[in-house]
Amino acid sequence: MATTARQEPVATTRAGKRRRVSITPYLFILPHLLVFALFLGWPFFYGLYISFHNFDYLRPEAQRFVGLGNYANLFNPASVQFTRFWSALGNTLQFVLYSVPLLVALPLGLALLLNTKTPGRNIFRAIYFAPWTLSVAVASLLWWWIFQSQGGLANYYLEALGFDAPRWLSSMPWGWFAVVIATVWWTAGFNMIILLAALQDIPAYLYEAASIDGATGWQAFTRITLPMLRPVLVFIVTTTIIASFNLFGQPFFMTSGGQGIALDGGPLEPVMLQIYREGFVRNVQGSASAMSFIVASLMILVSYLNFRFLRQKD
Amino acid sequence: MNGRRWSLTLLIVLLAGMLAACGGGTTTGGATTVPATGGETVATTAPVAGGETAGVGTLPADCTTVALDYWNPFTGPDGPFMGTLTDSFNAANPNIQVVMTSQAEYYTQLGTAAASNSLPDVAIIHADQVATQAFRNVIRPIDDMVAQVGVSGGDFPEAVWNAGEVAGKRYSIPLDIHPMTMFYNADLVATPPTTGDEFMQAAQAATSGDNKGFLLTSGFPTQQIFSMLLYQYGGSWFNADGTEATWNSEAGVKALQWMQDAQSNYSEPNLEVDAELNAFKAGTVGMIWNGIWQTTNVTGEGVEFNGMATAVPQIGDQPAVWAGSHQLALPVQSDADPCRDAAAGIFIKYLLDNSIEWSRAGQIPASNAVRESADFQALQPQASIAPSVESAIFPPSLPGITDAFGPLEQAVVSVMSGTQTDLQAALDEAATAANQILAENKTNFGDAPAGQ
Repeated sequence: MATTARQEPVATTRAGKRRRVSITPYLFILPHLLVFALFLGWPFFYGLYISFHNFDYLRPEAQRFVGLGNYANLFNPASVQFTRFWSALGNTLQFVLYSVPLLVALPLGLALLLNTKTPGRNIFRAIYFAPWTLSVAVASLLWWWIFQSQGGLANYYLEALGFDAPRWLSSMPWGWFAVVIATVWWTAGFNMIILLAALQDIPAYLYEAASIDGATGWQAFTRITLPMLRPVLVFIVTTTIIASFNLFGQPFFMTSGGQGIALDGGPLEPVMLQIYREGFVRNVQGSASAMSFIVASLMILVSYLNFRFLRQKD
Repeated sequence: MNGRRWSLTLLIVLLAGMLAACGGGTTTGGATTVPATGGETVATTAPVAGGETAGVGTLPADCTTVALDYWNPFTGPDGPFMGTLTDSFNAANPNIQVVMTSQAEYYTQLGTAAASNSLPDVAIIHADQVATQAFRNVIRPIDDMVAQVGVSGGDFPEAVWNAGEVAGKRYSIPLDIHPMTMFYNADLVATPPTTGDEFMQAAQAATSGDNKGFLLTSGFPTQQIFSMLLYQYGGSWFNADGTEATWNSEAGVKALQWMQDAQSNYSEPNLEVDAELNAFKAGTVGMIWNGIWQTTNVTGEGVEFNGMATAVPQIGDQPAVWAGSHQLALPVQSDADPCRDAAAGIFIKYLLDNSIEWSRAGQIPASNAVRESADFQALQPQASIAPSVESAIFPPSLPGITDAFGPLEQAVVSVMSGTQTDLQAALDEAATAANQILAENKTNFGDAPAGQ
């Protein structure tokens, strides 16, 4: 109802102004459109084209159309690509499952704690945010040093406390612990900042009114804070899922360049590493593009479901 | 006001991040360009016996000054050795100026340079990459140059020379061989073992308390160690025409069994890559096997005990050692120039004749003459490791051959990390996957490079 009411005036305006079409708005979006078309639109369609071919950018003479062959190969249980791709995709999904809840809950907790008038809170905000400014190589190397088996900090203290020290970087499921801990430490600060900004936007009078009505702290959190944060939480959950899907650097650097458990087909090899290997180590770029499109479709689907699921409660 | 202080904090943190990013850039960028202007090290590089350096240093009469780009993957401590050698060449050949660039992510760099037609004039290619780079139009045949440089198969061990030939044409000339090497702590292992029995005694004797006799990781270089033992027990990687993996033989199972036993008797389980090196450096490990390039890291000044390097023992009944090799090749040029090609030939000849200087970086010269020279014989520990390269094994010269080792590596890793206990099944599975990859590569690449 509301939408039809709004549509009518738009239609009349459009009809009335048809004669003097202004190019100014188009000029405003032109720079972005050009960059978008060049760096997103073109690669997207070219990637789709590549995925239908036997393709190596250095051997144009070997290029030939294979239709859906590259995709079919990924669904053929007898092919090497089938085993490697789906195992790697399964690994990445596991990582999404382990990391996303932590990367939403922990930053939310930190943001709530730092949204108080505690002295020194700015120092803590900076401390929690600081790791996010490191590059993936630096963050991963730091944690490699902590988790490695020959005098690494983690095992040094575990052994000192009398525990059996696991091999974090060369056995499962310990590999996931190491990668998830490193990732949470590295990226939680970013989500924390966004949630903190959202918390500061919640009007104080809502809490005042609630306390006058006798609401407990928990009630204020579930009835005021969470509902007011919902749009931002949807954003956080979506971007965190996408970021976790793109896992590549942490397992790569923490296993000396994708060795041992992060090898081709290994239990800690993320799907992005498998795509990279197929495309730029084996140089089978058609097959690698097909893998990319399957993963991209999955990410679009998950993001869509996520929006739908969290919006419906409104 | 609160917001203001907050944004100041944010700014500081971001600035710190930028600094950190800059720091990261220098470590990962890794491009060392040695200026072409000659160093003062001219006279120090004495030509080795047999190499008439002076004789080849002449360009054709119609060529004036030639500038050459030379790329290699030597981003580690070996880079400066090659830089010095290049400087000496520039000083000795005023009309040829070579600019050396060392790159990380080497084959990706070569690939993008090939796509943008900006390949260097001379490049180092690893032996197992020669066929792949030839088929991907990165390097070109150099049969003519081999005649100009004046080398032939008789000048090198057969296997390393064969690695430079692709589909009947020569694409590269071997510069060095870097074999699997045994590093031992002479405080724990008095005399280095040379046979399987001696090895077991030495490893057993050094295993006591917190000390381990011999460490094996569950990642690199266990596939290489397996390969070496496979050949020592009389097995092979592939059949004669490279269409089928043959490592799932009796010899393969024997090799893997030996490794599993060695791991449970003398080593710790589930060590990550490089853990054996770090443990060895702590002084609690008798012996480890790794590439010769680790020499400066784990021997001499690198450690506080008596760290030594020597040839790996012969466990099986045939001599065989895993090795890599850096080979010199000419990348494809759209504007081929006889002057630059002639200059490249002179430069390659110089590097081969003076490869003793390069071997100081922890390499074994590929050239027989240089290995037999008195200067090299006096160079330790390289000289004591050198005899093993006579039996160095190299993969067949086929495009994409390194892909076929992926499944083998996965199999060895799964056994060494204890997730697979059936050795035969592990090797069978790897062979099936490798056969598929070999067949895929054959249809993908065809029989000969397009440039031939």
